[in-house]
Formats: sequence, C-alpha cells, structure tokens
Amino acid sequence: MEGMLDDLDRPARRRVAPWVAGGIGLVLVLFVGVLATREPAQNRLTDSNLLGDVAPPIVGTTLDEDRFDLDRLRGRWVLVNFFATWCAPCRKEHPELVSFSRRHEQAGDAVVVSVAYGDEADDVRAYFDDNGGDWPVLVGDVDGVSLDYGVAGVPESYLVDPAGFVRAKVTGGVTSSGLDGILAELRGAGP
Amino acid sequence: MTDVVAASKPAARRDRRRRGSRPARASWLAMALVLLVALGIGTFDTGGPSSPEDRAQALASTIRCPTCRSQSAADSDSPASREIRGEIRARIDAGQSDGEIRRYFSSRYGEAILLTPSSSGIAGAVWVLPVVALVLGGAGLGAAFWRWRRWAS
Repeated sequence: MEGMLDDLDRPARRRVAPWVAGGIGLVLVLFVGVLATREPAQNRLTDSNLLGDVAPPIVGTTLDEDRFDLDRLRGRWVLVNFFATWCAPCRKEHPELVSFSRRHEQAGDAVVVSVAYGDEADDVRAYFDDNGGDWPVLVGDVDGVSLDYGVAGVPESYLVDPAGFVRAKVTGGVTSSGLDGILAELRGAGP
Repeated sequence: MTDVVAASKPAARRDRRRRGSRPARASWLAMALVLLVALGIGTFDTGGPSSPEDRAQALASTIRCPTCRSQSAADSDSPASREIRGEIRARIDAGQSDGEIRRYFSSRYGEAILLTPSSSGIAGAVWVLPVVALVLGGAGLGAAFWRWRRWAS
C-alpha cells in the first residue's frame, strides 16, 4: 500500500523539483549579477566620534619640504584625505580629488590636504608626479595623525569647516560631484 | 534498651549521611578554600607588567586592530597596528595610565576598538553579570540539593 502511495507521489515531486531548483538558480544568478555590476560605494558618509569636534591638529612637513599647519587654513573648507599609493580605491579617487581641488582652488573656498598612510616619501612623490595634484601632501612628522582622526582604512576623508570643526567623514573613496553635494548640504545646515 | 540502641543506630547513620562523613566534609572545605584563594589572587593581584614594553604589549592586546578582523593590535603587523603600538609606547613614556590610553583610543574609534569592555558604566555589566549569575546559580543548586536531601531522609 505504502509503495503504491510512493508511486502516486513521485510524479508530483518530479513536477515541483525543477521549479524549486530553477527558482534557486535564478536567485543566485540575480545575486551574482547585482554584485558584479553595481558601482563600488563612494561618497559614503560614515559616523565618527570626531563629528562636531575641533579637528585634531595636523602639523608636519609636506612633500615639497614645506612646514604645514592645518590651523592656518581656517576660513576655508578643508578636505583631509588619508590615502596610500598601494591602495586601489585611492588611485581611483585621485583624479576626482584633482578635479575637486582645481575647481575650488579657483573659487578659493576649499582646499585638499593629503596624509600618506603607511607609505614611503619616494613612493608618494612618484605617485603625485604620475597622477597630478598640487595640494599639500604630508609624508613625514605625521605619526599619530591617522590615529587622532580614527582612520580605520584608506581612502578616508574628513571635511573640516572654516571654523575648524570636523563636519563629515567620507569612506570608500570620493567623487568630485559627490563632495560638492556633501559640501552644499553642510553649508545649508550651517555651522 | 537493646531496642532503643537498635532504633538509634539507623537514625544515627541517616544523620551522618545527611551531614556527610568527616573526610567528605574536609574535602568540601578544602575545595572551598582553594576556590576562595584562587578568586582572591585573581581579584586582588595587581602585579601587572613589569617593564614599559610589557605594559605596552599588554595594552596593545586589549586594543582591536582597526583594519583587521578579530585581531588585536599586538598580534597584527598592519600599518595601523604598528602605529597603535607606537602611540601606546609614546603615551606610556609620557606617564599616562592604562585607562587614559584606552580612553584615547575609544574617543577616536568608539568603544568597539576595545577588545575588553570598560569596567564602568553600562559596559561594566559585562563583568558583573557572570559573577551574579554564578552566585545565583550556586545558591539555587544548593537550595535544590538541600530540599532533595530532606525529601530523601
């Protein structure tokens, strides 16, 4: 009797199994497709304990052997960018930083400052020679700055307002237009 | 008279069983003593790391490497961990306490940077709750054993 019932069930199971397998396969294909085609997350605003606080000081020697002090840039927005020459997302965002810096240099309202993270001065110099960018780059005397800012990976950027307060932390790389959007929002929100 | 003696013998045995024999009681007492001494040493031993290097190493093992997964700054060789170890050493040399150094890192990265939670505030419950659970569990077991023994006798 049980054998007969099994025989009756079998065709029904045969009908359902391909649908289940097909459904699972379709979901997997969609999942892989979404992961493979989506843009990497950029301009991602991230929480930080520093938001609203006075920006930790950055004092050091730039790539051009000049002395640098973040406090001297009061009155302008400052994008403090932590990067490394060995970091692929940093290389990807670099042309965006060049574009952002060039436009805002003309307007005189914002500047970029880069801090090399776990890097050698010669590598950083070659990187800027190859990729452009004429903003201050710190490669020496900056031990502890990345810890002061709570940097957990590169690239990471912090927007410091004209009064010297940290207003945003951006991870995953930036785009020039994305930064403009964040700046516009912050300006709209007021200090 | 013999009846009285005969009747009192099982009662005495039961009484002895209930209270436990002398060697059994001695071993329980010894175990309790060892437990208390171990707890006392664990709680009040303040003989920390002897040298600044040892102290820096011990502190780094309580700080999470911010760029790695589930590794302490003492175990990782990432640039961030190297920087954390250097910062710890510099702050020790500057005379800061362990608490001050840990507070610096949590002020920058949040409490998640600490591998061992803080002993104050809500995080302190993490340390207190297991002890409370242990005491309550032990008391509950003791009460249950006492009741079972009473029913058995």
